[in-house]
Amino acid sequence: MLDWGRVKFFWGEVAQNFTRNVTMTLTAIGTVAVSIVVLGAFLFAREAFDNVMRSVVGQVVVAAYLKDGVPLPRIAAIVTELRADPRIDSVRYVSKSQALSDLRHRLRGQVDLGLINQNPLPNAVIVHTRDPAEVPGVADGLRERPEIEVVNYHSTTFQKMVRMEAVLSIIGLGIVALLLAATALIIYNTIRLTIFARQREINIMQLVGATRWTIRWPFVLEGTLSGVIGAGVGLCALWIAYRAVEPKIVVNLPFLPLNLTSVPVGHLAFELLITGAIVGMLASLISVSRVLQAA
Amino acid sequence: MILYQDVSLVYPNGVHALTDVNLSVARAEFLFLVGSTGQGKSSLLRCVYREIRPTSGDVMVDEQLLSRLPHSKVPALRRKVGVVFQDFKLLNQKTVWENVAYALQVTGASSRDVMRRVPRILELVGIAHKSKMFPQELSGGEQQRTAIARALVNNPLILLCDEPTGNLDPETSSEIMALLARINAKGTTVVVATHNQAIVDRMRRRVVRLINGRIAHDEERGRYHVGLG
Repeated sequence: MLDWGRVKFFWGEVAQNFTRNVTMTLTAIGTVAVSIVVLGAFLFAREAFDNVMRSVVGQVVVAAYLKDGVPLPRIAAIVTELRADPRIDSVRYVSKSQALSDLRHRLRGQVDLGLINQNPLPNAVIVHTRDPAEVPGVADGLRERPEIEVVNYHSTTFQKMVRMEAVLSIIGLGIVALLLAATALIIYNTIRLTIFARQREINIMQLVGATRWTIRWPFVLEGTLSGVIGAGVGLCALWIAYRAVEPKIVVNLPFLPLNLTSVPVGHLAFELLITGAIVGMLASLISVSRVLQAA
Repeated sequence: MILYQDVSLVYPNGVHALTDVNLSVARAEFLFLVGSTGQGKSSLLRCVYREIRPTSGDVMVDEQLLSRLPHSKVPALRRKVGVVFQDFKLLNQKTVWENVAYALQVTGASSRDVMRRVPRILELVGIAHKSKMFPQELSGGEQQRTAIARALVNNPLILLCDEPTGNLDPETSSEIMALLARINAKGTTVVVATHNQAIVDRMRRRVVRLINGRIAHDEERGRYHVGLG
């Protein structure tokens, strides 16, 4: 059963250490904050970059050009069948007259299409998949239909883009892992130093009959709290920086499909807060246990 | 209360701190351990609260063999044995009150118990008026009184004092020793390791002299220089 007297005692010890060891407390919190700023900035940038890659790859469509003479009811049936396919997000029918009109619009002022007295363009069905990885499969399915003349989705370019996305994602993950390890080590070392500075205090606690866990708990709670507060401070700094920089990125880099608002900021913040708390807690637990073992 | 049986202690650096020590200290006894620096006085005391373990032989405290005491039971032993050091070993971030209360709180004592026992013990050692001060704001004598209060707050059976007057002036030393005598009169076994000849000679209690880690002399109502020839 939870002993509230003990809980009160442990938190009392934490409060006392926070208020009476101000320099050490601020050092630990500051280190966590700076580490979280670096880690958080990279995670945010990676998330934004992944969004860009997803958006570029996601723009790939499959264009299926129909043979001349396929009757309109058959085309309507094909469109209905494709819409029922769970892999497919949307299907758009573009008639040959619509295609010519679009081409005229696009090339307006550049090429005079008035010289063409016959429409050479075929009827087409433009398919957009839910997942870019489904594009080749959907394209193969369309090729097997007798009504379809040609299927095009720039397969070589598409496969290069998918490969590049995968490689960049793995590199990003590797950098996150390295950065996370560096963050954990920096926080661990700082907390370890603050605890080693209190080695004498811990020895005295043992001499007056405190059990190992009675000594450990306040340090573990203090480390967790330092981690949470430090991460909170780091997140505040990141939020301020984001609010200041975001409009400038949108204005100065309009060619990049950076949709910063789609980055799950709340989710990232929660992850960073948990990272701070766990690293702070483990760093304290390991450090204080080492001091106790050495005693 | 305390029994040393053929206790020998060799430190990892090869120094023989204690050799074949056999000593018995009765309940409510007052004993001086004397001898010059490096003769084994502190080592003998440290065996009692299991800060070190003898290389051979055994120590028994309150009928409990310390060689068989599991590590998890050491805190409970240390609540039965109060220790006072020459350098006081107070927690500098805590006030006098908090230093004394801490020794009680780690045993799981209730807030009510702490509020009841701490003022009494501070009153007993004559430091109640400085309860809100931090160790560094106190004189040596006041710090030692605080350390004694902390050692006594759990009502220990034994009070070990390692050079308790080593950092104090003669007047304060006398006051501290008078306090230890009062505590002993209430039934606590008191063992004091000291160099202070004046105090040992004045109090005329049992004196055990250590030379090179061996008991050279043991005399009831002894004097500091007994056995030195």
